[in-house]
Amino acid sequence: MDVTIMTYLLYLGISITLTIWVAHTLHKNGRIFLVDVFHGNEPLADSVNHLLVVGFYLINLGFVSLALKLGYEISSPKEGIEALSVKVGTVMLVLGAMHFFNLLIFSRMRQRATQRNAPPPVTPDAFTPVREV
Amino acid sequence: MSRLTLLFDPTCGLCRRVHGWLADQPKLIELRMIPIRTERARRHFPELNHDLTSEDLTVISDQGAVYFGPKAWLMVLWALTRYREWSYRLSSPELLPTTRRVVSMISQHRYQISRVVASLSR
Repeated sequence: MDVTIMTYLLYLGISITLTIWVAHTLHKNGRIFLVDVFHGNEPLADSVNHLLVVGFYLINLGFVSLALKLGYEISSPKEGIEALSVKVGTVMLVLGAMHFFNLLIFSRMRQRATQRNAPPPVTPDAFTPVREV
Repeated sequence: MSRLTLLFDPTCGLCRRVHGWLADQPKLIELRMIPIRTERARRHFPELNHDLTSEDLTVISDQGAVYFGPKAWLMVLWALTRYREWSYRLSSPELLPTTRRVVSMISQHRYQISRVVASLSR
């Protein structure tokens, strides 16, 4: 097997493993957040969690696949490792950015949910009887 | 608390503009707007001093809690989905004095501001 094919296979192996690991982390730890956001409604939290993870997989695997092509020939294992490190580094940065974006979504959702039940910011100046007719 | 009633001054252009803007905003709590010193306002709040309501914005909750002036404006922000966060920020001990000053200034000069705004948009 020539060095280029070897580099491609290693790249795919590492990138896909990383994607699965990050998605798994997100799925496992994001659930607690979502259950809180949806006031203990676990089926809804699980459903939203699943949908988020599917989106995460699609975007990341799509990126991994688009970024596969090297565009130049590799002649030695040294060049192979260098090319691999650039590719995997890029994938990791994209994964990281996506991961923080997901965290942002989680915290926004949570913030909104807690705000809905928050008390008034100030105390009243007086009280008056209200008559509804 | 599920509803806030705003007693607003329909004779000032600025208040009418705010009234229109509020109608379009997404809300966390229902807002009902009643013009000040009208039969309707007196009927809903028979024991309120209605002469005071022409001096500054008055907001009353469905449980009868009365908020006047700067506090009333903060309660209006609190009722809006997009500005609830701001109502807490502006009512923090550090910012409340400034909020009070700015709101009273706008309220006192609301007719002048209305005239300026009207002349600009003409």
